[in-house]
Amino acid sequence: MLFNTPQFFLFLAVTLAVFYLAPKPARKWILLIASYFFYMSWNWRFAPLLLSLTVIDYVAAIWMERVETPRRRKLFLVLSLAANLGFLGFFKYYNFLASMLAEALRKDSHAFALSIVLPLGISFHTFQSISYVVDVYRGEQKAIRNPIDYALFIAFFPQLVAGPIVRAREFFADYYKWAPPVSEETLRGVLWILLGLTKKMTLADQFAQIADSYFKNLAAHPGAPAAWSGVGAFAMQIFFDFSGYTDMAIGMALLLGFHFPTNFRRPYLAFSITDFWHRWHISLSRWLRDYLYIPLGGNRHGALMTYRNLMITMLLGGLWHGASWNFVIWGGYHGALLGLERVFGRKHFQEPPHWLLYPFRAAITFVLVCVGWVFFRAATLHDGVYVIQQMFSWHGKGILIPAWLGCVLAVSLVIAVLEERTEWIERLAHGPAWAYVAVVVTLLFSVELIGVTEKAVPFVYFQF
Amino acid sequence: MRVAPVLLASVVAFAAIEGAVFHTGVYPWILNPDGSTGYLETILRHERERPKNGPQVLGIGDSRMILLPRISNQHTAETGYTFGTIAVAGSSPRSWYYMLRDTDPTARLYRAIVLALESYDDAEKWGDEADNDADLSYVIVHLRLTDLWEYSRSFHAPKQQWKAARGILLKELVYKRDFENLLLHPVGRFNNVRLSRRDSFGWFYGYSGPPDTVSDYRIDWETKTVTAPPNADPARVDGLKTRLLLPLAPQSGNQSSYLKYWLGKIHERYRDAPTRLIFLRLPRGGFVRPDQAPYNPHSSVRELAAQPNVTLMDEHFFDSLEKPELFQDEMHLNGPGMNRFSLMITEEVRRILGPPR
Repeated sequence: MLFNTPQFFLFLAVTLAVFYLAPKPARKWILLIASYFFYMSWNWRFAPLLLSLTVIDYVAAIWMERVETPRRRKLFLVLSLAANLGFLGFFKYYNFLASMLAEALRKDSHAFALSIVLPLGISFHTFQSISYVVDVYRGEQKAIRNPIDYALFIAFFPQLVAGPIVRAREFFADYYKWAPPVSEETLRGVLWILLGLTKKMTLADQFAQIADSYFKNLAAHPGAPAAWSGVGAFAMQIFFDFSGYTDMAIGMALLLGFHFPTNFRRPYLAFSITDFWHRWHISLSRWLRDYLYIPLGGNRHGALMTYRNLMITMLLGGLWHGASWNFVIWGGYHGALLGLERVFGRKHFQEPPHWLLYPFRAAITFVLVCVGWVFFRAATLHDGVYVIQQMFSWHGKGILIPAWLGCVLAVSLVIAVLEERTEWIERLAHGPAWAYVAVVVTLLFSVELIGVTEKAVPFVYFQF
Repeated sequence: MRVAPVLLASVVAFAAIEGAVFHTGVYPWILNPDGSTGYLETILRHERERPKNGPQVLGIGDSRMILLPRISNQHTAETGYTFGTIAVAGSSPRSWYYMLRDTDPTARLYRAIVLALESYDDAEKWGDEADNDADLSYVIVHLRLTDLWEYSRSFHAPKQQWKAARGILLKELVYKRDFENLLLHPVGRFNNVRLSRRDSFGWFYGYSGPPDTVSDYRIDWETKTVTAPPNADPARVDGLKTRLLLPLAPQSGNQSSYLKYWLGKIHERYRDAPTRLIFLRLPRGGFVRPDQAPYNPHSSVRELAAQPNVTLMDEHFFDSLEKPELFQDEMHLNGPGMNRFSLMITEEVRRILGPPR
């Protein structure tokens, strides 16, 4: 059940109606049942897996609090991490490791392969679980005593499949002091859902057709203009797809009385790679910082160790996206760029440049990000190298993005710049009613007029 | 701001604008004349704008009825009847009902409507005709909100029912491909529309059909092979194979219930009208397969024939045309074939209706 299908909107409407009509004590049950129904509508066979991980982490956290010696606390932490990473490793990385082993033994790359279906959202809910048990281990979070509460934190349907990766203290701050959303929050919730749907169906899915036609048949589109427009189309697809999903998740959570953290802040307006990672998939960046980069030592042990930690974090961040060398290269590429920016002066890349320089810097950053996306999207390493060669070949003709979509993109850019300066979308629910109505009608028309409605295109990040 | 009024106002504003643009003649005015929806609208516009002096006869059917009026109207002085057509390639009786409803809103414009059918036996087709995807695109302009229940329920597959219901509510979803084409080539579209509005009547009513024949082709029914001349068009060969050599679809009764429903609705519209419904069975092709659908005494048209204003032309009336030299492909008459076909219809309609009153 994808967010961009009528079935999902029916499910959401029923869930909201039942949730608000039910007596207060029953509401968490309703959300939990709805969340498991949502998960099982994709593949019911994986519900025991989600439940097992929930039980393991729930018990581990409680035992971590109960035992007194640090050694035993650590033991429960290790057990919990082993279970989480064990499941994640098996489902996501087994075949990758098996193919490497087979190649090392000079056997067929599929010699040890298994037919494994990746459980929906495993990368996200595993990270969310890990953050919880680590926080309990560190004493930053009290263990949740009510199993229903904890199960809902892990399975909460708006963010179960592709985040944002919510910290336990953020979730339970809303949960334990739950209050129905005020009018402005409801209107904001509806707006975020519509905005997300518009991003997904009108922009991401349109750009997806161009990116797919390019990357699935590279030989048919030689030359730099095709390569840049194919890669640019993917850059737009992945941004509008993922941020659209996140907007919808944030909107749904708002309608249910929860406040999710921002996950995207106009990343293609970033003026440096450092700035980009403060704007792109913020909840993952924050997770990697708090649970990987800082525990590795962060920037506390000199420049060399900082670069090492940065590189390890980004390599693992890349690998988190998928079991392929392409993702490792993508992570390494960003790690290298972040390292370089540190070499040339951290302050220089963290503070916005003069407004005259800003567009220039943003354009350079966008180009660098696009080069990284090549490895993220290309089917093989060979394809990735080929696309890079084409991008810098300075020959060929034929831009793949049609003029009308370019115009839509230009309008989106203007909206993003205005939003960057005024945050008008956030404030719309507090403004005059006519402005809200005008924006909602525009969004509905965008979906109707240029949205890809023939079939529901899955979200890119669902595969991670 | 209060939530309910603001959200309600948003929905009402959206519905009002959507309705004003897509549920009226605004968007249909710029439909691509080469697309399926735009083509049908062009045909219907021709029929609406065609001067109608004297008694009128309207032909309806699929691509095999398109060229009817050119020859028929050369004989108006003798027959006293003027012919028009709203036949559209790939259209089917469900679409015909809605096309007729808007072409003849009072059900009194025509002395006769000639409906061309593939078979008098409700021969089954491969694939359920009730679920024909193209129907919605054809008649979307003519569907009203009040048709929502009946039209969407007329599809069998839930997916198609949903698509139809959604399309009637939000028509742009059906116009989407047309709209994307407009975005891609806005200037070309407006030129095309202008050209079509100016000249298409002449192209349409003046076209005499191609001279091509299938007389160089041989069908071996024993070995189930088609022997084609050198440099034969592969599409034509495939067409012949598909129509003649594939097994007949098993009789499930689907086609019969579909035709009974929609032909019944067309008849219902003209029950008390001064319009005669004349059915004809189309010539089957230059080659006629030896196995035919079994005789069905209770087929849709045979049951309708009992009604006072319904006439069935003889089932084998056009058998004399079933020769390879009169067909351009597996089922379409060529220019000379169409001339003879049109003339035969004209004379037979004149005989059935008698002299104009």
